[in-house]
Amino acid sequence: MTIVKENAPHIRRKASVTRMMVDVLIALAPTLVFAIAVYPLQASYTLLISLFIMIGSEFVYVGLRNMLPKDDKKHSFKERFNYAYKGKFNRNNVLTASISAVIYTLIMPAGAPIYAIIVGAFAGIIIGKLVFGGLGSNIFNPAAVGMVFAKLCFGSQYVTDVPTWYCSMNDLGVSATPLGYINGGFLSNYNNYSLSNLFLGQIPGTLGEVYKVTILVGLVYLLIRRSADFRIVLSYLGAFALFSLTAGLAVYALDSSVNPFTFTLYSILSGGVLFGAVFMLTDPVTSPINSPSRWIYGLIAAVSTVFIRLFAALPEGVGFSILIANMFAVVLDHYEWSNPRYTWKKFLAMGLLIVIPVAIIFLSIRFGGVYHV
Amino acid sequence: MIAKTKGIHDTKSFVGALSAVRYIDPKYVYIATSNVRCGQADVYIKEGDHVDICQVIGMRHGPFFDQPIHATISGTFVGYEKHYHRNGKLTDFIKIENDFKDTMDKSCQKRTPDEIEELTHDKARMTELLKETANVGLGGSSFPTYIKFQTDKKIDMILINAIECEPYITADHRLMLEFPYRVIDGIKYVMNAFDCKKAKICIKSKYKDIKEVYEKTLKEFPDSGIELACLGNYYPQGWEVEMIKNATGIQLNPGELPSNRGIMNFNVSTIVGIYKAVKYNMPVVKRFITVTGNGITTPKNFRLRVGTSIRDLIPMCGGYKHPEKDKIFILGGPMMGVSVPSDDCIVTKTVTSVIILDKEEYEEQPCVRCGSCVLSCPVHLEPVQIMNAVKTLDKERIKKLNPLRCIECGLCTYSCTSKIQVTDYIRKAKLIAKL
Repeated sequence: MTIVKENAPHIRRKASVTRMMVDVLIALAPTLVFAIAVYPLQASYTLLISLFIMIGSEFVYVGLRNMLPKDDKKHSFKERFNYAYKGKFNRNNVLTASISAVIYTLIMPAGAPIYAIIVGAFAGIIIGKLVFGGLGSNIFNPAAVGMVFAKLCFGSQYVTDVPTWYCSMNDLGVSATPLGYINGGFLSNYNNYSLSNLFLGQIPGTLGEVYKVTILVGLVYLLIRRSADFRIVLSYLGAFALFSLTAGLAVYALDSSVNPFTFTLYSILSGGVLFGAVFMLTDPVTSPINSPSRWIYGLIAAVSTVFIRLFAALPEGVGFSILIANMFAVVLDHYEWSNPRYTWKKFLAMGLLIVIPVAIIFLSIRFGGVYHV
Repeated sequence: MIAKTKGIHDTKSFVGALSAVRYIDPKYVYIATSNVRCGQADVYIKEGDHVDICQVIGMRHGPFFDQPIHATISGTFVGYEKHYHRNGKLTDFIKIENDFKDTMDKSCQKRTPDEIEELTHDKARMTELLKETANVGLGGSSFPTYIKFQTDKKIDMILINAIECEPYITADHRLMLEFPYRVIDGIKYVMNAFDCKKAKICIKSKYKDIKEVYEKTLKEFPDSGIELACLGNYYPQGWEVEMIKNATGIQLNPGELPSNRGIMNFNVSTIVGIYKAVKYNMPVVKRFITVTGNGITTPKNFRLRVGTSIRDLIPMCGGYKHPEKDKIFILGGPMMGVSVPSDDCIVTKTVTSVIILDKEEYEEQPCVRCGSCVLSCPVHLEPVQIMNAVKTLDKERIKKLNPLRCIECGLCTYSCTSKIQVTDYIRKAKLIAKL
């Protein structure tokens, strides 16, 4: 027995990065199971391809980063391998890459071709994570980067192939998703897909984002295990609901057959809002460090989601808005104003982030001609 | 895990229930010639001299005050020896061999109630007395108590810190339970000196046993103005700013002295030290100490002479548990205490506990920015940002992040999900910010 000297404190909390990551995987599991059940073939190969690419890239990256420095001696492959990987490539590298791969699988549209999946997975892990320095250093959510990259490159080649045994109806033609109509005519869309269809995921769309029940189960699990910050989820979903309600009221003023509350629920349940809020925005690496900034971060993401949905050419804005909010996370963490205390300036910023978008949404829909009856 | 750290799991409820073992007759006692606040000392006695309990055997010299050194046992001065002091440094100790006669120095005389009444109402004499008896803050700060008495501010409220918020330590807990009358008398003396009508004994609300004892005892002193305040169970509730905030509702500004707001706070051990000084004109010669941790077979509380060697205590606790494992030897609490490189250390006045833990290797992971350190920080700093600034040696950024406000409570390291030693980075940041 020897007595060792060390610096205070001498005890640690029972918590680990591994535990946090396993929690996220467990929370994702029900959604993944559902996705594989509904799209057995496509979900499986998307998952396998993205797992292989993402973990493999991480492995190659760790090897390249920790190469044995050059000297005169000759080193065997085993020696080089041990130098590069021993203690440096551990379970956390595998776990983070697999979380990214699973999220990427679940947000890929059903009907994305294999080459889009491959390119997107590479882009996600390399541009989204490894160029910044791997685990803990990335600015953007790797899965969102991959999905957006694939969509921008190959979006026109996506085919929606809906399994008829689960999705109840599909009168709108092959490529139509509920969101595709929110700009044009809400009502015709609403007549095709009811709220319960949306809630149960009986709609064409992505592989996993559509199953709201399992996503909510995952959210509850993450919040109980404290592996996701409730502030981000609350501010994002709350602000998104408020903005949608504003839009719904503005539409109601134009067309009294639209119920604003149904409109709000419909907005929240369609697309990737819930999935993005639960699994992508709450990624601690890409979110700000202190609690007031986290509230603001959720608000920024909500504002950009609503603006992209209502005013941009894209029907679905969650992936893009998450990337935009990730950029703001870096700004919010700048040392000049980063402070864990709640100050009146921060409340003012939050207030402005709510009031100004509400005004813009209402005025532009009511008087700006964004909405066509 | 993204969560604020509140309570820290510990073994207090178990060890706090064990009554203290009296071990007041060690073969040798060791008295430090220097300590954290006083670097040098003059020793008045020669080898072979006989000393009595409470005899002044030397004088420590600090930067702005002198502190007499008292013998804590009667016996013969046999020479100097080097041992580890509480501050983690190897220090010269005066070694005294016990003659087991317990002869008291002439200066130690019991005061009558009238004399006490007269003395305690005279703040200048109290100050002088506390200086002569070398009373210091016994919670661990070792701040001279008489300097606190020199304030000329009007004090409205005395707060007694018996919170002992560090995990594992139960020394003050035992003191509170075993000597309630000494505590209450001590508080009364201090209240007299400051001419103050109110005092609050601050404890954690989970200490039901202390609450019961003091509710009963305080009934015997109906007009004393002493109340019991049950505060939160979290760490660092015992930090004076948190304690004052929860006990009185006053939020101190950073760096502000409590006396500015009419508050004076003392540790409960210091209060008993003052009681001894006033009633018997004695310095602190005995104290409570906890020996605990998962590296010792039987955790115990002790009441022992100041100057006892800790090596004597280990066999009484059944020796080390798991002797094959490496150990960490901590004087003080596990969150802020000093780890010493050997078990050859001495119980000085300010040692509250000896904690022996099995050394655990933590695998450090990259920071995942979960924000637990920011949520947990009691002074609202951002430890992770300071750590990143230290890694890049960005002095401007470090200064802006204000690490000098840090109280080194250790919660950032404790709560770190990635097991990073964040507190060490903050210590470096403090050094850089001071440049």
